[in-house]
Amino acid sequence: MKKTTFVLALVFAAGAVFAQKKTTSSATVTFDATTPKDALPKAENKTVIGSIDTQTGAVAFEAAVKNFAFSNPKIQEHFNAPNWLDSDKYPKFTYTGTIEKVNKVKFDKNGTYKVQVNGTITVKGVSKESKVEGTITVADGKIKVAANFSIKLKDFGVTGQAIEAGKVAEEPSIIVSAEF
Amino acid sequence: MYFCLTGSQPFISGTRYNEFMTNSTTSSKTVKWLHLGSGLILLISYFLPWVKWESIKVNGFDLPAGNFFHISETNFKLGNPFPQFAFSFYAFWLIPVLIILTIALVSQHKKSAFPAFVAGAMTLSQITVYYLFTNTLVDLGVGHSAFAMLQPAVFIAVIASAIFILTASSTNNWLKKFAWIIIGPVLAFSAYKMGEKYVMSETFTNTTDIKEDYTVNATDLIREFTLNDTAANNKYREKILVVNGKTTQVERLSDSTTIIQFADSTGSYIAFSFEKEQYEKVKEIKAGDEVSLKGSCSGSIFSEILGTTSITFKRSTLNKK
Repeated sequence: MKKTTFVLALVFAAGAVFAQKKTTSSATVTFDATTPKDALPKAENKTVIGSIDTQTGAVAFEAAVKNFAFSNPKIQEHFNAPNWLDSDKYPKFTYTGTIEKVNKVKFDKNGTYKVQVNGTITVKGVSKESKVEGTITVADGKIKVAANFSIKLKDFGVTGQAIEAGKVAEEPSIIVSAEF
Repeated sequence: MYFCLTGSQPFISGTRYNEFMTNSTTSSKTVKWLHLGSGLILLISYFLPWVKWESIKVNGFDLPAGNFFHISETNFKLGNPFPQFAFSFYAFWLIPVLIILTIALVSQHKKSAFPAFVAGAMTLSQITVYYLFTNTLVDLGVGHSAFAMLQPAVFIAVIASAIFILTASSTNNWLKKFAWIIIGPVLAFSAYKMGEKYVMSETFTNTTDIKEDYTVNATDLIREFTLNDTAANNKYREKILVVNGKTTQVERLSDSTTIIQFADSTGSYIAFSFEKEQYEKVKEIKAGDEVSLKGSCSGSIFSEILGTTSITFKRSTLNKK
């Protein structure tokens, strides 16, 4: 009995030591749908949850749609409206993916690495495969992740005259930065 | 020539005078019946659907009845941008009242031009508002064209209003009548565009200057969300809250923004994000401090990554320390 307990304790201890999943609840995601006609549709969410597994290369992000802060109240209302991102029904954006060739990133050594992540982005309940290029910077034990990519709004069922009239970008850019 | 003037007295000879009078009376009667008919049609059309937003039909009377913005807000989250002026929409009840008044006055052979002009002009201005607001909904992805969303009754109302104005008096002052036709749409269009410009140039009021809707303890708030997130989200989302408690984590990001968290023993937490303008106010706060924070509640999500509930706040400010 004592032996079993000892072995289990060892397993848990080893698990804790080798656990490579790091998380944050203060990643930032910027949504930028500005156009030459309209500079208002831009917002930031600074309480995005993220995780990175330095062993497997798995990455994941979750952003509460309602916590994207716009400068203009009406644009924020439009952003969350049912025919746009319908945040009451679909309260979060998610991204899950895997860093390609993660073994080439030395997480225990300072350096900057260009990486590609193959994953799935889910917006308004619609999931799309997405390849994202990003940068991982390792500095003094901290891992900084940065990525800049765009999404096609119509791929996620978001349409409207504002897009056709050029007041909202058809392909807003999404800027992600996180520190683990 | 039917008549000629001798001094200041008209002179019309025998048969031609009778013919003139008969034609004049017939024409006057036609105008009167046209006026009454257009008034009646306008009155009926006011209680019929003017626009259709997806499957929802919105009638003319829905504006003064207070349903117009309620329908829009409930279904498409687009409310009245100026709720402080909502009472002014009751004025549109004047449309059916003035039409009925006009019909009554005409029946009694009394002067009725002014109420008819006002009723017609108000109807045309209201139709303009319906069209422009529908166009705003199209921007939000509701339908594809505001024009296609107009219902037959609104076209009938436009024609009936114009006829109601044009036949409103026996005088042939067409300039005045055309002025009454265009004044409503011009004023409504100008007011709508000015309002739209104001709304689009607005920024959020500083949270410090907004009175809180609720004051809560951090652990109580987390408990409320974890016990019934639907009810808590309905109650607190987009409301201004003051949250008191002991901070469990304070993070300062590289762009001088700050995230302050309150967590419970299960790991569920509340996160307040502070813009860099707030940096000086919150720079001395550290984990373990008792603080009072104020912010706009964005509601909760359940995090699959953390396995906990995350409640977030934006536009946060320090209430007091």
